[in-house]
Amino acid sequence: MTITQLSHVAMEMGVILLSNGAETYRVEESMHRICIALGAKEVEIFVVPATIILSVTLEGEVPLTRTRRIHSRIIDLTKVSEINHLSRQICYEPTNYKDLIAEIRRIDTIPSYPYYLHVLAFAFISQMFTLFFGGSLVDSGIGFLIGIGIKLQMDIMGRFEANVFFTNIVGGLIASTVAVTATGLGLTTNMNTIIIGSIMTLVPGLAITNSIRDIIAGDYLSGLTKGIEALLIGAAIAAGVAVPLSLLRPFWGG
Amino acid sequence: MNYIAPCLYAFGASLAFAIVFNIPRNKLLLSALGGLLGQLVYVVFQLIIGNDVILYLLATIAISLYAEVMARLTKSPTTIYLAVALIPLVPGGGIYYTMLYFINGEMDLGITTGVHTLLISGALAVGIIMISSTVNLVRKVMLGSSLKIGKKLKHGKNA
Repeated sequence: MTITQLSHVAMEMGVILLSNGAETYRVEESMHRICIALGAKEVEIFVVPATIILSVTLEGEVPLTRTRRIHSRIIDLTKVSEINHLSRQICYEPTNYKDLIAEIRRIDTIPSYPYYLHVLAFAFISQMFTLFFGGSLVDSGIGFLIGIGIKLQMDIMGRFEANVFFTNIVGGLIASTVAVTATGLGLTTNMNTIIIGSIMTLVPGLAITNSIRDIIAGDYLSGLTKGIEALLIGAAIAAGVAVPLSLLRPFWGG
Repeated sequence: MNYIAPCLYAFGASLAFAIVFNIPRNKLLLSALGGLLGQLVYVVFQLIIGNDVILYLLATIAISLYAEVMARLTKSPTTIYLAVALIPLVPGGGIYYTMLYFINGEMDLGITTGVHTLLISGALAVGIIMISSTVNLVRKVMLGSSLKIGKKLKHGKNA
């Protein structure tokens, strides 16, 4: 395998890992493992949430450095799991370039769950958490509707590439507006429960987990970046929820 | 019933979050079980411990242990189990009430609730750190006994 092919394979796998929600150390470790297994003499890798820098040296060849900027990050842990599995497999049995690229393409195009299931999942999260925090069945129904609304809103704003904080502000806004209105119309008395339950759909669970795990692994740069992201998303949700609470409540007499 | 219902709701919410995170089909139920486990530990220890920061710490320790064990058993990343199970423990109510008190002009209550929420978040972080670090240490000690693998580890930053 030539140095170009080797770095290409490693970089493709790293990009899939990083852009689908793997921790920083997992990306670095997997890429390192692959390069050594495929015959590299020296490998240096540096990963931050938006960039991968890879430098490979083969015996008797000029070193090669590649950089890749990650533009969009989504969450698809199936791909992370599959690439993780593939990187372990390469260490046990060497594979040729063509097969590896084909396998990486296959993993990259694994379909995620169908769209309606994602919408239902959001609605279900919202409903379950409303019940979890002590809401009644009617409350959970309202939570169900808010969950659908938030998912649709996130996708529409995602299509226009709105930034994540603005998306979360609007998400909080929707949850709070619907809950305050429902309370004003006399449908329910548990306004707080409904709002808490439905904003749980916006909680950045993976960012929190990954930031803590990155910091344990010693990747302070990535860990702090993700931690700040999680913190700002939390603040954005609170800000979004606060607007209808202050503006609409006097109107409904709450 | 008061004790079981929250666990079931946490299970349902975790299952839905597992779908949102696109977790592999065959691991959906296993990862959602983590959410149930966290809530179960919280509810059970509630009978003897009154301080809820400690309760959150214990629940996080339980789900971290579960995540590490399941990750080794199914040969998949720990995050799959940890991220999903952690969500029912995130203090969403605390964040909301902090904000609500500030809007209503009740500064004292707002600050008290805010600090309490921060402590709970700290408990979650400490719980994960304690278990992950211990597991890594144990793994390295066990691997280190075999010299061949010990050499391999030196190359990679194996965290």
